[in-house]
Amino acid sequence: MDQDRNQPVYVGFWMFNFLLIGLNHRTAKLDFRQLASFNAIQVPDGLKQLSGRPGIIESMIISTCNRVEILSNVDHRADAVDSIETFLAEFSNVSRSELQTKLYRYSNDQAIRHVFRVASSLDSMILGESQILGQIKNCYSMAVDTHTVGTYLNGLLQAAFRAAKRVRSETSIGEYSVSVSSAAVELIRKIFGDLRKKSILIVGAGKMGETTLRHLADTGTQAIYVTNRSPEAARHLAERSNGMAVPFSDFHQWLARVDIVVTSTGASDTLIDRSVVERLMTEKKNKSMVFIDISVPRNIDPAVGNIDNVFCYDIDDLGTVVEANLHERLKAASIAEKIVDQEVQAFCTKLKTLEVAPVVMQVQGRIEEICQAELQRCLRKIGPQEPKQVQELEMMVSRIAGKLSHPLVMQLRNGQDSLNQSAMMDLIKRLFKTRDPEHKKLT
Amino acid sequence: MDWFLFITIIFYVLGLFHSLIGFFKKRQLFVKIAIALFAIGFVSHTLFLISLGLQRGHFPITNLPEALCVFAWCISLSFMVATFRYKINALGAFILPLVSALTIISELIWEENHSIPPLLKSGWIYFHASVAFLAYAAFFFTFVSGLLYLIQEKKLKEKKFHFLYFRLPSLQVCDELMWRSLYVGFISMSLTIISGAFWAQQAWGRFWSWDPKETASLITWGIYFILINYRLSNKWRGRRAAYISIVGFVSILCTFGINWGLHTYL
Repeated sequence: MDQDRNQPVYVGFWMFNFLLIGLNHRTAKLDFRQLASFNAIQVPDGLKQLSGRPGIIESMIISTCNRVEILSNVDHRADAVDSIETFLAEFSNVSRSELQTKLYRYSNDQAIRHVFRVASSLDSMILGESQILGQIKNCYSMAVDTHTVGTYLNGLLQAAFRAAKRVRSETSIGEYSVSVSSAAVELIRKIFGDLRKKSILIVGAGKMGETTLRHLADTGTQAIYVTNRSPEAARHLAERSNGMAVPFSDFHQWLARVDIVVTSTGASDTLIDRSVVERLMTEKKNKSMVFIDISVPRNIDPAVGNIDNVFCYDIDDLGTVVEANLHERLKAASIAEKIVDQEVQAFCTKLKTLEVAPVVMQVQGRIEEICQAELQRCLRKIGPQEPKQVQELEMMVSRIAGKLSHPLVMQLRNGQDSLNQSAMMDLIKRLFKTRDPEHKKLT
Repeated sequence: MDWFLFITIIFYVLGLFHSLIGFFKKRQLFVKIAIALFAIGFVSHTLFLISLGLQRGHFPITNLPEALCVFAWCISLSFMVATFRYKINALGAFILPLVSALTIISELIWEENHSIPPLLKSGWIYFHASVAFLAYAAFFFTFVSGLLYLIQEKKLKEKKFHFLYFRLPSLQVCDELMWRSLYVGFISMSLTIISGAFWAQQAWGRFWSWDPKETASLITWGIYFILINYRLSNKWRGRRAAYISIVGFVSILCTFGINWGLHTYL
């Protein structure tokens, strides 16, 4: 599989010619990406402008915060490259030569692979993040609404969605949290499993605490208590998160009612120490408790974690989880790459049959046509015959036609060597004077 | 009829293989395939036991290979129940090796036409032996989930977020599986001892004769009894309970292994 990756896969030179030109977080800095990026209103206009330009048959714009890409099916590569680059340069108001330093170009199988990898989140800034697929679906539906995609881009995008879905379901690439607050939730879930019957006390109404609280609340926790030195902020956060504000002065007495404690205050002293938690555990009959301390300096004595059935994590521990998770994502990504390879192969094979089928039909038709014409001419020359003899002659002619076309068809269908096959295809097309069907301009 | 056993073994081993891949590679797909394969094996296993019973004209539990086969079936049954109830991906990798090994050993030492010792010709044997094996199977689950709990708890306490941390279930799930299986095992074991006593009264004329297996099972029962008591009084939770469940399992192994005295036939 890995060896195949860099080898061009034969996709044909006739009905489709995929071209992808774009830039992403690797090739361009944020301020540059901002210039080039399209918003939801600009995309349809851009697509309309683009579709009228030379060389382009189908097109769509993929624009997210980390990438701007134009994916198109073109009938003349050089023209299309010119059109797209000019279009991007005009749109983003930068000189074409400057733009070119940031752009990458992929055609045919590389373009297919790139789209598959992007959709599967293998090309994302944060590997495996889950939003990219939705963003691409969104871009695709905008292109569908603007009528700038046709059979081939439709096929390509559907195949990309399938590849992305397989990557999601067959690898664990998206399972690992890579932000501190979601890592905290993941850790808590490794202890409590289902959080629906668990209650939380959050000490401190800061930004970080709120993010963590929101992640926790998403899991459907039972009750949320909020406390803060300034009761005002506590009340606001409690309102926002459907919780209850409790006074800071005696928050210790609320500890016994909860299973999860998150501290995130600016206090420079320890708010919860070992002896408090030891008493607490007797009161709670040794039911497990988790303390998450995301404040710096720490608000919870780390020795709390030494008590049986008590788990205590500080910001560094959460960092370790994130690191370990990123590592796991990398491992899952290597499996994902193999899945993408398989899907690219499958899609290319499908394209190949799509392309070969009309040629096969035309070759067969042409041979049949010649044979029939000769038969009719012969019949006219020799005058009226017995129906049985005519039938015999007709059968002979169609057998000849079949025997002539068979090896050609087999060669077209089963050709393994991509270079020879394209030459063969050209030769056969020239010999039998088959016509290229007209490209439908999509407007 | 051996066909069924053969098919059973093949599917169990295939299931084991897939669940190990699923565990090491952490691929959900393989875990699902493993469960499907194992389920087919389980159906075939059930059919095998039914056909064997019909052929022999009695519940097939009267010699060692048969007993191992029934024991494997009890564990399989518990595994299917636990899988559908808790959906623990890692469980198969820990349970299926034993199930596969038991069925393979049973096949290897298979004896045909084993006649039942006259002493065992009693209705009590079927009940006594069945609940005994159910108890063994349940306690095996208690042991495995206790072990998983201890490993996961150690990882969480030591803050080592590596291989096993990602693969083992949450502490809550381990704990729940441990207690549920403990209750099932304890009830089954109590029934085993009671039914054994009645049967002994019938066969040997006394309820209790302090034969080694009887004594060992009483000790095991005692260990689990203490554990349940402490659990109900909320004193022991988590790690300490998990340790005791492992001690209990060692005791179970002794009970299972002691086959002299009056229990010479098993």
